[in-house]
Amino acid sequence: MDCEISEKASMDRHAPQPTSSIPATENTVWADASPLLEAACRELRDGELIHGENFNLFAAMSALEIMDPKMDSGIISRYCSVDEAIEDGAAPIPISFDKTTDVQCTIDIMDYLLACEATWHKGHSLAQTVFSCIYLLRPERTASHTLLDSFCKVIRATCKAVVSVVSDARTHEEEDLFIMAYGLPLNVHGDDKCLSLLNAVEENISRQLRACKAPSSKRKVLEDIEPLQANPDLEEGYCKALLCRIRFRKHFFHVLTCMKRPQGRGMELARKHIATCISELESIYKSAEFLLSNASGTCEDGMEDRTTASGCQPVGFDTSLNCRISAPTPPRSIKLLSWIKAIEYFEKLLQDLDLICSFMLDPSLEVLLHFLVQFQKSQPDLVARAHLQLLLVQDGKLYGRDPIFSVITRAAGLPEAAKNHDIQKNEYIIQLGQLVINMLKILCTNAAWQRRKLGKILQDWRVIYVQLELAFTKEYREVSNNSNNESASVRIFKQILVWIEEQTYWIAHRFLILGFELDLYAPGEYCMVYWYLYVILIKLSEKTQIKMSAADGTAKRKGKKRKDSPKDLARESRIPPAVLFLQCQMYLAEGLTVLLAALKNELMILQSPSPFNSEHERFIQHFELLQKACIPDHVSYPSFKESTAYARFSTIVVYNYFKDAQKIAKEIKSSFSNDPDRLAELRKLELVAEHNSVALNVICQVGALDPSLKVSLEFIHHPCFATAIVKRS
Amino acid sequence: MEKSNEVERKREQKAEFDASEIEYVSYGGEHHLPLIMGLVDQELSEPYSIFTYRYFVYLWPQLSFLAFHKGKCVGTVVCKMGEHRNTTFRGYIAMLVVIKPYRGKGIATELVTRSIKVMMESGCEEVTLEAEVTNKGALALYGRLGFIRAKRLFRYYLNGVDAFRLKLLFPQPELHPSLPMAACIEDSDGHNDRLLVEGCSEPRIGL
Repeated sequence: MDCEISEKASMDRHAPQPTSSIPATENTVWADASPLLEAACRELRDGELIHGENFNLFAAMSALEIMDPKMDSGIISRYCSVDEAIEDGAAPIPISFDKTTDVQCTIDIMDYLLACEATWHKGHSLAQTVFSCIYLLRPERTASHTLLDSFCKVIRATCKAVVSVVSDARTHEEEDLFIMAYGLPLNVHGDDKCLSLLNAVEENISRQLRACKAPSSKRKVLEDIEPLQANPDLEEGYCKALLCRIRFRKHFFHVLTCMKRPQGRGMELARKHIATCISELESIYKSAEFLLSNASGTCEDGMEDRTTASGCQPVGFDTSLNCRISAPTPPRSIKLLSWIKAIEYFEKLLQDLDLICSFMLDPSLEVLLHFLVQFQKSQPDLVARAHLQLLLVQDGKLYGRDPIFSVITRAAGLPEAAKNHDIQKNEYIIQLGQLVINMLKILCTNAAWQRRKLGKILQDWRVIYVQLELAFTKEYREVSNNSNNESASVRIFKQILVWIEEQTYWIAHRFLILGFELDLYAPGEYCMVYWYLYVILIKLSEKTQIKMSAADGTAKRKGKKRKDSPKDLARESRIPPAVLFLQCQMYLAEGLTVLLAALKNELMILQSPSPFNSEHERFIQHFELLQKACIPDHVSYPSFKESTAYARFSTIVVYNYFKDAQKIAKEIKSSFSNDPDRLAELRKLELVAEHNSVALNVICQVGALDPSLKVSLEFIHHPCFATAIVKRS
Repeated sequence: MEKSNEVERKREQKAEFDASEIEYVSYGGEHHLPLIMGLVDQELSEPYSIFTYRYFVYLWPQLSFLAFHKGKCVGTVVCKMGEHRNTTFRGYIAMLVVIKPYRGKGIATELVTRSIKVMMESGCEEVTLEAEVTNKGALALYGRLGFIRAKRLFRYYLNGVDAFRLKLLFPQPELHPSLPMAACIEDSDGHNDRLLVEGCSEPRIGL
């Protein structure tokens, strides 16, 4: 490095003295630093570096080695500029003077752009995917090629719309590459008219298709219609292949526009366009057979990896051209999704968007949270999640319709009238509203980011609870001095407090469950994780029950006595099914905790001794955020140890928690007969309970100390509740 | 592609050696730098500039180690430590590499254990690193050393793969003063046939 500095110094000396643009002032003077630098260079030894105090790891890692292809984004691979590429004939217009070839090539460009677009959505830069297309980069050049021009316009307009949705939603913290569009022509004049142009092109090709399909007798009438290309045998196939591609783009653009309409007003129409998009995608897929059989030119080998339907490399693309505008990131080698994978991606995206659009517009918070959790299970990508988030929270209201306070009162089981109560002006209630909005937004982010954020907001929920409780105590004191009757505001406070606790435990529950989905727990840690989950589920079911009975009480006060059917009355328990559902999971978590503890204590398996720390440290690390927020109170590592240290098979087989879980799952199924999601979940829970119950019996019968006994845990029936597999070796 | 199959096969072949033949040395100066760079370039996915390497080995030479077999460098570990957000004194394992023929023999465990010991003696409260979620060998190795998977980092690497942030918390004296600290570290990975490829990088290159 010293040589670099000395070279620079000597260059400066020999360079003509620059006329200084910054004049010397009273306190400053210009001086020649070359001798000093030279002296410093002589002192420097190999590997030394002169740097400021702020030279940190980030600075070190941001440094590039010029001409290293792994790092230097500016390295010239083929062309210096877009213009040079065009001059060299990399993107001719027309693509070919042979009309048939021109159509073939246009279709290849369309297909390759689909693969590029899907790759972009999946996390690569826009510059190196969609905008590796030279035709897109020079909008004025395509004007003479109406078909290509209209297609380029709709692609740019679509990209612009998608970038705006994602950047408005701000759910892309870890997917920040997505919206980087610096230096790309996304705001081209005339792109907003892409739909009318596209319609005209579609109309024209439809006529060409009709003309070629007409019986020869009628052909004369249609003769004034110029065919799409020269070969009559291929006319129908190429017309059809183009039409489905154009229609897909048109309706996809409509979907995006509809979904952006405020208050979810465009959702119904969006669903119609989604349905059309999906059927056009199918036609695109089917067109591959025709295109493949008539392909000319260089074909890619490996049909599974092909990036166009025809298997031909498209004309007019160069990934390296935009490398420089994607700096300061180093050049990323991009493996483009195949054309088939791109179609699959768009199918999935459209299905996800359809799910969003088919959801009701006035859900209760409970139903909405359930929907969000279900929606995330299919791992929707950024674009779908951003749309969902924008729809959910508009102007601080749910779907831009319901004020957050009315969402809260409904969630807390308060009567309809409560939503207009003045209490909503209380500053903590306003803050609570913010927390709810924040939580909804977080639930739309990717699972990894979501878990981290949920862990962090737990403390906010805890704090707001304490603050509201204080405010409530004050209010209650004042009221009780005045009258014996519980005022409306006291009732609202009380029920909201219970609901906040329930919601806080719900977040904690989701936080723990996401750990399984993200594969954050090692088998040696399952015992403590299930124990914590069990503790959280106790609290969650408890709070849910209190909330529900309070809501019930409110309803009764209003004179709406619930008519219990004789069947219900006959039942011993009056616990609502929603609570039993949680209790079923609670028993499973408890059962797994003691099973794992007994395995550790008796079979000495799943222990994880480590040279540098103990289970205690791992407990602290895993549950730090819960512990910091006192969720729940008085729970710590010693309490975990205490409840698991004495677990033995001889005792746990007597009280088999899995049997309880299984019993509840069986019983409450009928209560959820119109809720397929929960019914499916219950079936899974029941299977885990049943299998684990058997496994427990086997271990106890064979004798836990039998050395040939092999016990392992697998997630075969449920993603979070493990199934114990017992084998004798 | 240029590599002949023969060369490729040799690279994959398991080396026959005894654990006692491996010599571990602390970073000793510029002459070690090309060895470290060669190994990391060859085995890890992220591109690092010479500034990055020097940043680590000049500031924390005591945390970098190399493993030699009969004069050939077969593995290395590069680390740092410092204040994290002004609250925690934290060690960080930046790169860990053992070349393929030498994997599965506890070399990586030994390298990283040496670094962690120095970190602990220097007053670190915890050690972190990132590893690709697909790198089962590395995850198992760090799991045995007591690291937990604290976070998942979405598409962390340039190649689009997610990472886990792994964390090792040292015992805090007030929690249990009697715990013997890292008295003896057994090589427990002898039976493991797939061991370790790479550590990590912080921050993610570029952004």
